[in-house]
Amino acid sequence: MLFCVIAAILTLGASLAVLLPLAGGSKSPSAAGAHDLEVYRDQLSELDRDAARGLIQPAEAEEARAEIARRILHLDNAGPAARAAGPSTTARLVATAAVLAVPLISWGFYSELGSPDLPSQPLSARLAKNPADSSVDELVARAEAHLAANPSDGKGWDVLAPVYLRMQRFSDAVAAYRNAIRLDGDSPARQAGLGEAIANAAGGTVSAEAQDAFDAALKLDPANPKASFYLAMGLAQEGRVPEATAAWQKMLGTLPQDSPWRDAVEQALAESTKRNVAAGEPAKGPDAGDVDAASSMSPQDRQAMIETMVAGLDEKLRQNPRNAEGWMQLVRSYVVLGKADQARDALGRGIAVFGPDSEEARKFTAFAASLGLTATE
Amino acid sequence: MVETGHFALVLAFALALVQALVPLFGARTGNSRMMAVGGPVAVIGFALTVLSFATLATAYASSDFSVANVWENSHSLQPLIYKITGTWGNHEGSMLLWVLILTFFGALVAVFGGNLPATLRANVLAVQGAIGATFFLFILTTSNPFIRMNPAPIEGRDLNPILQDLGLAIHPPLLYLGYVGFSICFSFSVAALIEGRIDASWARWVRPWALVAWMFLTGGIAMGSYWAYYELGWGGFWFWDPVENASFMPWLAGTALLHSAIVMEKRSALKIWTLLLAILTFSLSLLGTFLVRSGVLTSVHAFATDPTRGVFILSMLTLFIGGSLALFALRASRLTAGGLFHPISREGALILNNLFLTTATATVLIGTLYPLALEAITGDKISVGAPFFNLTFGPLMVPLLVVVPFGPLLAWKRGDLLAVAQRLMAAFAAALLAVLVTALFIDGASAFAALGVGLAFWLICGALTDLAVKSGFGTVAPDVMLSRLVGLPRSVFGTALAHFGLGLTTLGIVGTLCFGTEKILSIRVGETVELSGQTLRFEGLYPSQGPNYSEDRGRFALLGADGSSTSEITSAKRLYPVRQMTTTESGIKTIGFSQLYLSLGDQATDGSVVVRLWWKPLVTLIWGGGLVMMAGAAMSLMDRRLRVGAPSRRRKATGAVPAASLP
Repeated sequence: MLFCVIAAILTLGASLAVLLPLAGGSKSPSAAGAHDLEVYRDQLSELDRDAARGLIQPAEAEEARAEIARRILHLDNAGPAARAAGPSTTARLVATAAVLAVPLISWGFYSELGSPDLPSQPLSARLAKNPADSSVDELVARAEAHLAANPSDGKGWDVLAPVYLRMQRFSDAVAAYRNAIRLDGDSPARQAGLGEAIANAAGGTVSAEAQDAFDAALKLDPANPKASFYLAMGLAQEGRVPEATAAWQKMLGTLPQDSPWRDAVEQALAESTKRNVAAGEPAKGPDAGDVDAASSMSPQDRQAMIETMVAGLDEKLRQNPRNAEGWMQLVRSYVVLGKADQARDALGRGIAVFGPDSEEARKFTAFAASLGLTATE
Repeated sequence: MVETGHFALVLAFALALVQALVPLFGARTGNSRMMAVGGPVAVIGFALTVLSFATLATAYASSDFSVANVWENSHSLQPLIYKITGTWGNHEGSMLLWVLILTFFGALVAVFGGNLPATLRANVLAVQGAIGATFFLFILTTSNPFIRMNPAPIEGRDLNPILQDLGLAIHPPLLYLGYVGFSICFSFSVAALIEGRIDASWARWVRPWALVAWMFLTGGIAMGSYWAYYELGWGGFWFWDPVENASFMPWLAGTALLHSAIVMEKRSALKIWTLLLAILTFSLSLLGTFLVRSGVLTSVHAFATDPTRGVFILSMLTLFIGGSLALFALRASRLTAGGLFHPISREGALILNNLFLTTATATVLIGTLYPLALEAITGDKISVGAPFFNLTFGPLMVPLLVVVPFGPLLAWKRGDLLAVAQRLMAAFAAALLAVLVTALFIDGASAFAALGVGLAFWLICGALTDLAVKSGFGTVAPDVMLSRLVGLPRSVFGTALAHFGLGLTTLGIVGTLCFGTEKILSIRVGETVELSGQTLRFEGLYPSQGPNYSEDRGRFALLGADGSSTSEITSAKRLYPVRQMTTTESGIKTIGFSQLYLSLGDQATDGSVVVRLWWKPLVTLIWGGGLVMMAGAAMSLMDRRLRVGAPSRRRKATGAVPAASLP
C-alpha cells in the first residue's frame, strides 16, 4: 500500500516535469545567428576586463579583438529563423501523447517486471524472525551462526549433521558428524551417519574410510541396519557380489517386519541378482534415495532443531538475564513447542530477574496470559 | 524499499523516452514549449536514477538477498565498504552506474545550458535522452538488477574476491565518468549535424567536456593499471588485454579530440574533423562497453550461447555508431568549414598529433578485434599480445612523443620551426645528457634504455621550456619573469603539466622495463635474499583470520646496511571460502619512486616458501604521471576565460616570419 502511494507520487512528479513546460508560456525563439553574436559580445567584454586587469598583454588583446571581429563578420546571418510556435493540432497531439506516455509506460513496464508486494528483507530483519516461521535454509543458517559462535556445542552438531545429509551437503555433513563424535562421543547413529556422509560425498562409493565408520557403528550396535546395508553395498562394489548377497539375506532374516530398511535391502538384492552391481554405482539407502525429502526437513528434525535453538536462547538468558524481549521470546517458544512446564518456569525466572513488582513483570504476566499461561499453578 | 528503486528506474526510462522525442520534435517544428520540456525532464530523470541507484546500494549495504543481484554478488560477512562497492562490481549494477552518470551529465547540460541556443540545447538533450532510453531499456529487459527472490536465500554467494579491494571503489566510477563524459561531446556533434550548423557556443562547450571526460578516463585507466599491478600479483602494469584496450582506445581518440577541440575553440578551424572525432570517441566508448559487457571477449562461442545481451548491445552499437556516421555523411557537407592555416603552425602540429593518435587508435582496434573476427569466422583462437602492440603501437608513439615539445611553442596560424628548435636547445641538451649518463653509467648494453630515458627527459624538459619561454626566461628581469609566470593563463600550465606527466609516465615505463630485476626462489624462515641492493629476511608465515577469508601472511624484514631490520613487507595468500578462491596479496615497499614487489607462492612440504621478488625502478612514475596529466586537465578546466587564439603578429618584429597578410 505504502509502495503504491510512493509510486503514485513519483509518477505525478515525473508527469509534471513533462506537463509544466508544455503548459508554460511560449518564448519567441531567437534567430540562431543572434546567439552567436551574443557569444562573441561576451568574449569581447571579457577580453576588455582581462586587459583592464592586466591579465593579458595590450598587444595580444588587440590581436584577439581583431580575431573576434573577423568572426563576427563571418557570422552566418542566414541562419534558419525559427518559426513562431503556433498551436498546431500535431503539436497538441504530441504533447498529449508525451504527458500520457509517462504513467502508461512506467506502470505498464513495472507491472510486467516488478514485485510490488514483496517487502525489503535485509539480513537483520530476516534473522530476527520467529524460528517457527523460518524456512529450512534459514534454520540451518541460524544453527550455523550459533555453531560458529559456540563450536563446542556437540548437541548442535549432532542435530545439524543429519539435516546436512538430507540437504545433500555431504562434506558439511562429514564435518558435522566428526565434530559431534569428537565432542559428544561415539554412538552407532553418529558413526553410521558419518559413513553414509563419506560414501555420498564420494559419489556413493563406500571407501575404506566409510567402511571404518560403519565398522565402528557395528561394534557399538551389531544390529545397526544402516551400517550393515552400506557395508554389503561396499562388498558388491568391490565385485564380491555373493558375499554382499549373503549379507543382505542375513539382514532380511534379522530386520523387524516394519523396518524401513527392508525395502532397500530387497531392492538391492533384486538388482544384484539381475546384474552384477558395477563398482562405483551410487549406494542408495532409503533416506538418501528419497529425493523429494532431500530439500525438506522431516518434522522430527525440524522439531529437534528448534529445540536446540530454544535451548540456546535459554542458555543465553541465564548468562544475560536482563533482556525482556528475550524472556518473552523464550516463553512463547516453549508454548509453541507445547512445553507448558518449561514455559511457566521461564516466566517465573524472567519475573524473578526484574522483580515481581516491576514494569517488566506486569508485561510478562499479561503476555503469558495472552498465550493462555499463568505464572503459578 | 527495493521496489521503489525498481519503479524509479522504469519511470526514468519513460522520461528518457520523452526526453528523446519531444524536444527533438519541438526543435524541428520551432515549438519552444516542446523544446523546454528537455530541461526539467533531464533533471527529474537524473533524480529518479539517483533514487534507483541509492536503493540498490542500500539493498547491498543491508545484505537484502531477496534481490537476486545482491544475492549473487554479496555476502553478509563482507566489510561494509565492499558491500557498497559491490553495487557496481557486477554487470547489472555497473550498467546502472553507467546510466546514473549519463543522466547526471544530461542534467548538467540542462542546468548550465541556459546560455545555449534553444534548438541546440533541445537537440543535445534529445540525443542524450535517446542514449539514456536505450540503456534503460537494455537494463530493464536484459540486465535488471531489481529481480526479486522469494523466499530470500539466507546467505549470498560473495563478491569475486579479486574485486574486494579499494580499487573497485575508485576505478569503475572514474572510468565511467570518462566513457560517459564523451557522450556529451557526441550529443553536441549529433545535434549540430541535425541542425546542419555549428554554433559559436558549440565550440565553447565541447572542449571543457572533452577535458572533463579525458581527465576522468586518464585517472580511471591509471587506477585500473595500478590495481591490476598490485592485486593480480604478477607485477605487470599493462597487459594489452582486450579489456584494457577497450578503455585505451577511447583515451587515444579522446586525446586527439582534446587537441583538435583546442584548434576549434581558439581558431574556429577543424570543426568538421572535431565533430567526427567526437562521434568516433564516444563510439569507441560504446564499443568498449560492448566488448566488456557482452561476454564476447571470453569466447565468441560463450557469446553465441547466451546472445540476448550481446545482440542488444550490438544493435545499440549499430544504431548509434551507424546512425551518427550516416548523419555525418549526409550533413557534413552543409557545415561551414573553418579558417585556413599554414602547415607549420600550432594548428598544423595539432593535426600531426591527431594523425598519429588516430592511427594508433586504429592499430589498437585491429589488434583487439582481429582475434575475435578470426575466431568467429574460422574458429581458431589466437591471441594478439604484447609483441604485436610493441611492433606497431610503439613505433607510432615514439615520433609523436618526439614532436610533442614543439607543439605548444609554435605560434597559431603560422609558426617558425627554426626559432622553436632554438628555444628547445636546452631541453635537447638535457635529453642528450640523460642518454649519455644512462649509456655510460647505468646500462650500456641496451640502446633502447638510453634512448628511452632521453625521450622522457626531452618531454619533461620540453614542458618546462614551454613555461620558461612564455614567462620570458632569460629575456626579462627575474621579478618580471616571475610575475609573468604567475599571470600565465591556466591553460598554459595545463598543457605544460599534461606534457610533463606524459614524460614522467614514459620515464616510469622505460625505467621499469629496462632496469627492473626479478628473482624467483624458495626461502626458509631466517634466510635472506638480496635483489638490486635490497636485502630481505624471511620472518615466517603467520596465519590470520579476516572477516570473510583466512590468510597465511608471510612477513619479510627489509634489512638496512648494518643488518638490522628497517621495515617490514608482508605478502599473503588468502582463501575466500564462499567461492573457494585464493588470491595473492602482494607486498609492496616504495623506496623513492621505485618499488620492491613481493609475491608469495606456494608452501613446500619442507617448510620453505616460494617467493617472487621484483625490483621495479621508477615504477610509481607510470601512475604518478597519470595523476600529473589529470592535474593538467583540471588546471586547463579552471581557465574559464572565453578563449580566443589570435595569430600572433609580434613575430613580425623579430623578422623571423614575413608579415602575415590577415584577411
